[in-house]
Amino acid sequence: MLLPLFYKALGHSSPPSSSAVDMSLSLSFCHISTNFRPPSPSIYKTLPLPPSYFPILRFPLISKSFTVQSTPIRPSPTDPSLPTSSDPQTFEQLPRKFQEIVKLFQSVQDPKAKYEQLLFYGKNLKSLDPQFKSDKNKVKGCVSQVWLRAYFDDSDKKTVVFEADSDALITKGLAALLVQGLSGSTVEEILRISPDFIVLLGLQQSLSPSRNNGFLNMFELMQKKALMLYVEAEKGIKSGTGIVENPTKDVDFDPKLEKGIDSSESRSNTDDSEPNGSILGNRGHRITEILKRELQPFELKVEDVSYEHAGHAGVRGSNGETHFNLKVVSKEFEGKSLVKRHRLIYSLLDNELQSGLHALSIEAKTPSEVGI
Amino acid sequence: MMTMEGVVLKLPSFTQLMNPNHFTNRTSLNLRFTFPKSSSSSTASLSVPAAAPVSLGHSTRHDFEILHQKVNNGSKLVYLDNAATSQKPSAVIDAVNNYYRSYNSNVHRGIHFLSARATDEYEMARRKVAAFINASESSEIVFTRNATEAINLVAYSWGMSNLQPKDEIVLTIAEHHSAIVPWQLLSEKTDAVLKFVSLTEDEVPDTKMLQELVSEKTKLVVVHHVSNMLASVLPINEIVQWAHDVGAKVLVDACQSVPHMVVDVQNLGVDFLVASSHKMCGPTGVGFLYGKSELLAAMPPFLGGGEMISDVFLDHSTYADPPSRFEAGTPAIGEAIGLGAAIDYLSEIGMQKIHDYEVDLANYLYESLRTVPGVRIYGPTPSATVHRAALCSFNVEGLHPTDIATFLDQQHGVAIRSGHHCAQPLHRYLGINASARASLYFYNTKEDVDDFVRGLIDTIDFFSSFK
Repeated sequence: MLLPLFYKALGHSSPPSSSAVDMSLSLSFCHISTNFRPPSPSIYKTLPLPPSYFPILRFPLISKSFTVQSTPIRPSPTDPSLPTSSDPQTFEQLPRKFQEIVKLFQSVQDPKAKYEQLLFYGKNLKSLDPQFKSDKNKVKGCVSQVWLRAYFDDSDKKTVVFEADSDALITKGLAALLVQGLSGSTVEEILRISPDFIVLLGLQQSLSPSRNNGFLNMFELMQKKALMLYVEAEKGIKSGTGIVENPTKDVDFDPKLEKGIDSSESRSNTDDSEPNGSILGNRGHRITEILKRELQPFELKVEDVSYEHAGHAGVRGSNGETHFNLKVVSKEFEGKSLVKRHRLIYSLLDNELQSGLHALSIEAKTPSEVGI
Repeated sequence: MMTMEGVVLKLPSFTQLMNPNHFTNRTSLNLRFTFPKSSSSSTASLSVPAAAPVSLGHSTRHDFEILHQKVNNGSKLVYLDNAATSQKPSAVIDAVNNYYRSYNSNVHRGIHFLSARATDEYEMARRKVAAFINASESSEIVFTRNATEAINLVAYSWGMSNLQPKDEIVLTIAEHHSAIVPWQLLSEKTDAVLKFVSLTEDEVPDTKMLQELVSEKTKLVVVHHVSNMLASVLPINEIVQWAHDVGAKVLVDACQSVPHMVVDVQNLGVDFLVASSHKMCGPTGVGFLYGKSELLAAMPPFLGGGEMISDVFLDHSTYADPPSRFEAGTPAIGEAIGLGAAIDYLSEIGMQKIHDYEVDLANYLYESLRTVPGVRIYGPTPSATVHRAALCSFNVEGLHPTDIATFLDQQHGVAIRSGHHCAQPLHRYLGINASARASLYFYNTKEDVDDFVRGLIDTIDFFSSFK
């Protein structure tokens, strides 16, 4: 039932006569947990080619036209605000595997067939070892239970491998889509994707809003887990060497970033260039500099949480780096009340506050208070 | 002119109206609410020959425009999620509309024409609610935002001033979260102890256990009348007896009973009763608390503000009598009036009639669902002595209820609910994460049930092929 659709999507008029196609299709999805290799059947040979090689695919102009619109509730088929797969910006930024998935789903018009396709993905998802079905790995906000796991690929230690499972078939299919699409990408690639892609899949109308949220939650958890992998790896590399300083361009990927900087004694700017790039932007570095210089902290954590505030009036138009969490452990705070400590920090960062820094969340402790 | 319209539209149901035994057997209040502008009531005195019996579902359907639509991939809507919320007949929508178009004005405060009219209609709605549940006075009805707020009102207002540490509150594990969480919050503040009644093997709350749990330490018993998941009905009369014997009060969550059957608070003897308008053909945003006069009179305020005061000074204020004492700020006036119109609509059909129809429909639903292989229905088996409400929570072996509900919706236009139905403790007790639930109301028909079962079988087939 699915095969004719797959072949139609790829422009073939009739399926190749290979009798083993069924088997190989399912085989192709079994290797999700390793670097994705194009599956062996000949039909997939065309897939690794860049999108410009796919002129044969007829993309529907409207990504949401596959269901009959009888109620005014859902967006109309001619809603111009919906990105389509021919929208170059979002589509091109997707990892290749996602582009393939998007194309497959868009070429399937019938909603029931979309479901079959989704369930097919889910069926071939490698099931998750029960030990990984922990609370930490559970996606919040799903009506059914969904677990996600992420780890770096052994072979290159750079690309992320995802595993997932669910007790409901449809969510398992969604999880499988995400695993398929995101596994094998680098952390930076994963963080670059905006959730808008779900519209490109055209599944939104096939799924209730709460289901959609589950999808987004899954996606966000995958991003978060990828990021945490990165942070853990960074910590491993830099244990004890102090702060990584690296002038960066604008932080151009979704800054759900955590940078824990532990130094046993304050160090000056080491200016080590990290090949992977640092996570704090210019302001973050300046803040770190100032606080280090002025407070000689035993412990200093500077965390850019601007993403949490993205969208409200004070932030719009600025380049990120508007909200920071600070944790400072310094002798300078001894004998000072909480208010005085905060005032001290604010006065040190006054220039920043005048030039776009919007808010600080401060934890200011003396060494004795934290047991040093 | 309006009356003529009323006659034409309502011809089928008049045949039932002509039956003198039709109106519910109310003991005290026997008011007929007639409004010149309302199209829902009418006092036509024409004699209509008895027509062939039409099911209540069929005869009332045309009053509910929302039911006549196609959803998703062109399937006709089959709405089976009434335990979550009910649909509203045109009469109710018109009443709210009419309020806003003709006489919207703040109540109780103004003295001008519109305000007087709004106040009259609003207070008339209160009297209708009182009559509907046979409260002895309309001042025993406090309008709230919904049943949840009503329970919180009792928890804060009555609970805080009546519960001592170690006092006990008896509940069942089948209670809705709204009937559990306010008491948990209260017990944190007052050190009261919550005791829960579990189920029997028939999957109904264990009334024997309840009787045993009620002791001199018990100050309050909180129970549902009809369970939104098990479809079981509790013997409120007996429970009230046991509670009153030890001096405890009883709060009944009647959200699933008031819309579906005759509920007579004097007969039941309950101290507090809560219900929501939106489950009984009324608008969202309004519900009510019934409390015995003497209880309400002794309760301190819940929310403070305008309306609930008598005099306000800078250093203190004095408070109004109930029900105003518990109605701070501008109420949901139009919505309360809409609730009144809903009560008119339901009364015109007759709650006994609605109940009888639903008992029949409930059996049909249960029996039809039972024939589907792999289906496991929760709650008691219906029998001569055990009546189920017209709802079924169920699971299908090997399938997740969310998959079922999604597919039923997408492919068949059948609207059911999946999840824990605000009854997590109950689900945990039954050892499940979630369940699917189909719940009916008097405007559903046997054909709706057939469509649902057909869709369910198709759904199960679809997913089975992927196993």
